This record gives sequence, structure tokens and C-alpha cells, in this order.
Amino acid sequence: MKRRRLTPYALMSPGLFWLLIFFAIPMAFMLIVALEEGSIDTGFSLTWQFANFTESVGDFSTQFGRSFKFSIIATILCLLIAYPLAYAIAFKSGRWKNLMLFAVVAPFFTTYLIRTLAWQTILTDSGTIADIARFFAFIPEDGKLLDTDFSVIMGITYNFLPFMVLPIYASLEQLDERLIEAAKDLYSSARSAFVKVTLPLSAPGIIAGTLLTFIPAFGDYVNATFLGGPNQAMIGNVIQDQYLRTQNYPTAAALSFVVMAVILAIVLLYIRFAGSESLMGEDQVP
Amino acid sequence: MKRNGAGSGRGLLAVLLTLGAAVLLAACGSDLGGGGSDEDATTAEATGEVGGELVISQWPFYIDRKTVPEFEKEAGVKVDYIEDVNDNNEIFAKLRPDLQNGESADRSIIVVTDWMAKKMYDLGYLQNVDKDAIPTVNENMIDSLKDPSFDPGREFSVPWQSGMTGLVVNTKEAPDATSIDAIFDPAYKGKVTVLTELRDTVPLIMKSEGINPDDATTQDWLDAIDKLDKAVKSGQIRKLTGNDYTDDLARGDAVVTIGWSGDAVQLQADNPDIEFVMPDSGCILWSDNMVIPVGAPNPDAAYAFMNYVYEPENQAQIAAYNNYITPVKGVQEIFEQDDPKLAESELIFPSNEYTADCSTQTNPPEDGTTEVEEAWQQLLSGG
Repeated sequence: MKRRRLTPYALMSPGLFWLLIFFAIPMAFMLIVALEEGSIDTGFSLTWQFANFTESVGDFSTQFGRSFKFSIIATILCLLIAYPLAYAIAFKSGRWKNLMLFAVVAPFFTTYLIRTLAWQTILTDSGTIADIARFFAFIPEDGKLLDTDFSVIMGITYNFLPFMVLPIYASLEQLDERLIEAAKDLYSSARSAFVKVTLPLSAPGIIAGTLLTFIPAFGDYVNATFLGGPNQAMIGNVIQDQYLRTQNYPTAAALSFVVMAVILAIVLLYIRFAGSESLMGEDQVP
Repeated sequence: MKRNGAGSGRGLLAVLLTLGAAVLLAACGSDLGGGGSDEDATTAEATGEVGGELVISQWPFYIDRKTVPEFEKEAGVKVDYIEDVNDNNEIFAKLRPDLQNGESADRSIIVVTDWMAKKMYDLGYLQNVDKDAIPTVNENMIDSLKDPSFDPGREFSVPWQSGMTGLVVNTKEAPDATSIDAIFDPAYKGKVTVLTELRDTVPLIMKSEGINPDDATTQDWLDAIDKLDKAVKSGQIRKLTGNDYTDDLARGDAVVTIGWSGDAVQLQADNPDIEFVMPDSGCILWSDNMVIPVGAPNPDAAYAFMNYVYEPENQAQIAAYNNYITPVKGVQEIFEQDDPKLAESELIFPSNEYTADCSTQTNPPEDGTTEVEEAWQQLLSGG
């Protein structure tokens, strides 16, 4: 009897232990640092400086706003690109399905950093892409693509696209095609069958995909570092600089917490709005 | 999950308790920052026995491929030469936790710029060098480097190379860029980069406005930062960079940059139009120095390395590679024999006329350092 009650805990303990060591303790450590004051030269002491939170947000509100803007636009772009792609792979690719899935995952064989750096070369001022953009007057004659909002948003979209494609594909793949046939038997047009059957049933994939894209995109700093200039700095860049350049640990820690809180709040609102069941996949039609 | 209605309450409690415990644990160990000891620096005493292992932290592209293996062979020391210094502040942040505990993270030599060497020394993170152990250095160091203001008498630092901060320009695209004003010239809009090193970029701007960095007030520093800030916001300045401005130049995304003297020579291999241009208002002079951190193992091997690179023949090999100002006497004579073109290089052996208007790298006024550094940080973070 007793043994049985302990079993779940025993099973969970490796995971819990992992979380404790690599998440809970570092988080608590950060929280303490976030409430300290002082400087790198005089030392930091814990004075419960709750003002660190408000001040750091006030000082870097521009970069917060930018992180919002870039990550939301990138998430929407990812969705617009990924859905048709996932749909095509799930329903239209036939024997090419595995190859296409492989193609989606293939970029992961190269590191994130190298792929991002490669875009510097692709988007360079004297490159073909920039020439084409100038020819069609997307950018002015002396305009540039690299080190602009465009290049950073594009970089984020590119780097996180697979995280959007795969969950949507997974939920479309599970979809019972007889349901679409049934809709059509009931005189539903292709369009309304899609809107009323396919789209709702793929909602868990869409929600999981948007979360998997938005959360890392919001805190990302690699794309802004390599594909942007100072006018594209995101909140992740600020945190990195506060840690590594100014060594203002309290501000950096406070900012990290605010970022986490903001993301958590957005995710909770989003799940509430979109429905947690669809995220957990519990409303799948049997 | 459903079965366990009451259990989830207990689970939450467990999570909260865990978090609480974690907070307590962290509170005990969160003693970040704070200066080192106030005691006088110790000296890394030599014992006279050279051997074992030597770990060196160095900037990239500062040494040719042959010097380290040749030293290993001659001295019987195994060298781990790590090029992990990309930015003074970054290496400081990286090593600080160890240095604070009196440990050097296995390193016996770290190479940092003058002001950072001084900062580390004042925090008690460096040891004095044992002068008796480095006779070659004492003998061959050029006289002008022997008594710098940040380290009178060279108690804790040995110059690796010196250099000049000025303009690195694509002379084909920007033939007229001979003054710092080129940075603000609309003709080069979006094709300009400046360095993230506060003490390089800002004094150059001040000099172009006729302010001597040594006499500059906090307001002068802030005004120069403000001028740069406007240029960044307007898109005139494309980026603030570390050593990677060389990538932008090589790709053609930048044509006028603030950069370091030796780099241009490396870039010429790919693009002969890239040159170091002495700004008409002068350059900033600095040195990178070998320093011995507290707790450094095997100081004997460190001294052996210092002596080795101060042998003119060995130094000639290094200087020929990196094209920075050599701190060693007798190198020019070697070049006159072997490579007369290098012997005449103003980058390796700058004449007094060439550097007449240059200033030695300085810090912001002491009472304004925090304010200036914060303003600079705001600029770097795109505030």
C-alpha cells in the first residue's frame, strides 16, 4: 500500500532532482542577486532592492518593446509559412513525406550560430539579395538589408521555423481524414471543411508551435547580435551586456526575472484564451 | 491526474518548500562581486626550475603558428595557448569568480590592455613579477615602455605588443576618409562602424574636436557619447563592434571604421584596399600586457615564456605576423637584414612624427566613471 503511493515519486525523482539542481536553485540564486545593490568594485549586498525591477524595466523599455515587436512578427510569419508547409507534408507529399520532414529538420545538423552567421554573407550590402531588393525598389538605392529590423526578424523566423512546423505537422498527421470526407458528404465546401474540421483539429499543434516559437524568440539575442545593429538590440542583448560588460548583476538578474514573468503571463493568457484542453490535446475527437 | 485531487495540493506544497530551501541555499552562496584583498600584492617568486605546463589567455591573431611550438621545444614546457580574450570586460567577467577566490583558473599569463591590468591589480587579482627572473625582458624592453603611468617601474605588467587605435578604411570606397569627421560624413551613411571599447572610441571623437583626452571632463565624455548616439540613431553608424569590425570591412558592409593598427595588414591579404589611416587629429596609443594572476601555477614557465618572446629573433617572428608595435629592442635591425619593408613599417616602428598627435589611452575622470560607463552602456544596448 505504502509502496504504491511512493512509486510515482520515485519515478519522478530524477526529473525533480534535475529541476531542483538546474532550475530551482539557480532561479533562487538569481532572485537573491536581483534584490541586491552595489557595484562590481564595492561588492553587492542584499538590501531587498525591489526597485531594481521597476528601474530596469524603465531603463530598457525600448528594448522590451522591440523584443515584443520582433518576436510577435516572427511568430506570425512562422505560422503563415509553417501551416501550409506542414499541411503539404501531412497530406500532399506522398512518398516524399520523409524526405520533406528531413528537410525541415536538416538545418539542425549545423549549429545555430553558424547558420545565423551565414545570413550575414547572404544579406550583405553588395550581395545578390540586396541587389534584387534594390532593383524592385523594396529598399532605397542606398538602402541595406543587413543590420535592419528586417534582417533580425527574418533571422528569428528562419531559426525557429522548424519548431512551428513540427508540432503542426504532428497534429495534422493524427487527423482522421474520414472526418473531412464526412464533412464533404454533408455538402461542406473544401473551404468550410478546412475551417470547421481541419483547422480546429490542428489547433493543439498551432498553439504548441506558437509557444515554442514565441518563447525563445522573445529572449533571443543571437539574431540581434549578428544580424542587427544597435538600433535592433533586444532585451536578451541588454541582459547579456549587463552580465558580461557592465557586470551589473542585480539589473541583469532583475531583467531576467521580468522577461520570465512577462513570458509566463503571456503564455497563461494565451492558453486561457486558446483553451488549455487543446494544448494538452484532450479534446481530440475520438 | 484526475485521481489525485488532494495530491496536487501536496505537490504544490512540496514545490514551494523546495523553492524555499533553494532560496536559503542560494542566499548563503550569493556573495558576488566585491574587491579583493587590500593587502599589498605578492610577488610570483621564481624557483629557477622550468618545466611542466603553462596556460596562457591571449587575444586572437596575436601570434604566428611557429612561436609556441618552438618555445615548447626549447624550454621543455607544455603550453596551452588559449585565444579567449576578445574584450577586456568579457575576460574580466569570465575570470573574476576564480580570481576573487585567489585562483587563476589554471592560467599563468593573461594578456589585457593597460587600463584593465591596472583595474585587476587594484582589485588584488594580480601578482608582481619577479624582476630577477626576467633578465631578457629587462634588457630588451624599449625604454619608452619602461615606466608607464598605470604601472610605474613595470611592477606587475610586461608589454606583449602596443598598438594604435585609428581609422581602418577601405581606401577605394572612401578615399577621403583621413579624419574622424569621416565617421559623421553623410557620404558614408550606414557604412561606418566604431569600437565597443569606450577608451578607444570616445577619446578619438574628443580629439577630433580639439579636446585633449587627458584633460577631458566628464561632460566632454558624455558629449562625445551623445554625438555618437545621434549618429547611431540616425543610421549613420551601422554598428558598434569588437574585433569583428574586420568582417564588416572584408564583406564591404563597412568602409570607414574605427579599428586597431595591426588588423589592416591581415585584411590586406583579401582586400589590398584596406588600410590603417592615421586620423589627422591623432590616434590612441595603448599596450596589451602579460600579467600574472593571483594563484597562478608554475610562474617559472611564465617567466621563461616572457624571456623567450623578448629575444629579438623570436619577437621578430611575432611582430612580422601581427604587425603591431613591438616592445622589443633589436627587432628593427633584424628586419633590416631579412625584410626591409617591415623595418620601415610605421605600424611596427612608428616614428615620432607619425604618432606626434597621438594620446595614450586614458580613463574617464574618476568621479564620472560610473556615469560615463552607464551612458556608454545605454548606447551599446541600443537604448
